[in-house]
Amino acid sequence: MKVIIGFLTFLNDIDRRIIYLFVAISLAIPLVLNVELPPAEMMTAEAFYGEVERLPIEKGKVVLIAVDWGPNTLAENKGQFEVAIEHLMRRRIAFALITTYPLAEPFMKSVPLDVAKRLTREIPNEHWAYGRDWVNLGYRPGGGLMIQSLAKADNLHAHLIADSLGTPLEDIPAMQGVKTIKDITMLMEFTGLAGALQNWIQFFQAKEYRPPFVHGCTSITIPEGHLYFASGQLVGFFEGVAGAAWYDTLLSRNYPNRLSSSSIRYNTGLAYAHLVVIAFIIIGNVGLIATTMQVHTKNQGLE
Amino acid sequence: MMSALFSLHWWEVFLGGVSTLAIYSFLYRENAVYRFFEHLFIGIATGISIIMVFRTFLWQEIFKPLLGMDRVIFPDGTYSEPYNKLYLLYLAPMALGLLYYFILTKRYSWLAQIAIGFGLGVSGGLAFKGFINEMYPQLTNSFRPLYIKDNVGASISNIVFIFTLTTALSYFFFTFKQRKGRIAERSAKAGRWMMMGCFGAFFGSTIMARMALLVERLDFLINTWGCNMPWLKVCG
Repeated sequence: MKVIIGFLTFLNDIDRRIIYLFVAISLAIPLVLNVELPPAEMMTAEAFYGEVERLPIEKGKVVLIAVDWGPNTLAENKGQFEVAIEHLMRRRIAFALITTYPLAEPFMKSVPLDVAKRLTREIPNEHWAYGRDWVNLGYRPGGGLMIQSLAKADNLHAHLIADSLGTPLEDIPAMQGVKTIKDITMLMEFTGLAGALQNWIQFFQAKEYRPPFVHGCTSITIPEGHLYFASGQLVGFFEGVAGAAWYDTLLSRNYPNRLSSSSIRYNTGLAYAHLVVIAFIIIGNVGLIATTMQVHTKNQGLE
Repeated sequence: MMSALFSLHWWEVFLGGVSTLAIYSFLYRENAVYRFFEHLFIGIATGISIIMVFRTFLWQEIFKPLLGMDRVIFPDGTYSEPYNKLYLLYLAPMALGLLYYFILTKRYSWLAQIAIGFGLGVSGGLAFKGFINEMYPQLTNSFRPLYIKDNVGASISNIVFIFTLTTALSYFFFTFKQRKGRIAERSAKAGRWMMMGCFGAFFGSTIMARMALLVERLDFLINTWGCNMPWLKVCG
């Protein structure tokens, strides 16, 4: 009996480092063994997919993508960004990248190039090129003021002047017909920063026109994302890694030759880690109850 | 996967791995290595931000046109177009912004208040407009029917929504005393429970976000860093 009580008391007082170790091991298992569990169906990611699928392929129109993430939320936002631009590239819909966050700059250059290379390896006859399929408008400071001025500009070429490399926008094929907000068929916003999505929701609209908004958020802001989704301010969104993993599955269904991205492996690791966390919550509570009962019994004995 | 030993890419990956391990060493205990890398990260992030603002905005869109350097110079020394004097107007907002620095002097600190007042006015106006743009669709969406014909699921969802909304709002009535056992008190209590559920969802999703950060770093350590360090031999 004493041994059992001692063990239950130990459960109540497990060193946090042991918990960290178990969580890390559970997350690493799918990465080492290359295990992939099918992700759960996400209604919000499916809505995102449907909206992109319904987008018309028109010359002189672009999808604007706000890449408001950096190294700190790379784990969730990069996977979301990758699958979304892959879908646009496959459908040959041109897109323009912009950011209000300086640390996003390196990813705006590297990620589309990596996706384009991967697609060319998969479909050797086809090529995706900067300027024709996408354009990088770079970092633009000013937050809400900049977004508002972008929405109100009657000539985006004069307003934005050049891309991140200094090339005038009128010389970039993808941007040639894009003059006002009405030429932006959709706004995609990927962020883990507080207030970044709100800035776009509040200010990226003009009189009588507001492009459909889709969003990729980190897990922390999922409950917040649902508010905007329910009110129609968002027409689709990614719920953290899980959203990107489900989108990845939808892409693989329509394009069977594609290789799945890292999101599915990350999602598998998260599933294992959640089980570990739940197990430790149960263990901790069992330990707590046992300790409380032990104290209670001792007090009764004293009385 | 493995890049040439001691190439630039190798160093990038090597330092990335060392920095990651140094930051995660905090999980064991607070230590000097963690502190050093934490400060290094903050310093680099701040430095990059300053350079980015200067390179992509201040130089490209302000100083270059202001100094007339956005024009092409022909071999004979003439310019592709005459200097646009209207660019000199850029100096006015720049001067207004520079007034902020008078906050450092006792005698002229009142000048900084002009810039601060201007900033407050602009952000106040923006916040007002932003609030309406953001909240109005949510307010109108809150008026939902409690019964939708032939759709039991949606009806239940709307009932739960309206119940949560009204009880949570009632919690924030602080203008009258809520007597025990009365409807106002019970509603406020129910509202508090509803909010606790919401906070639980936020907390759960926060844990998930933290673990997502860890899984990406583990992926980097195992599949990129490990593969680039020949002595580790993580990937064959």
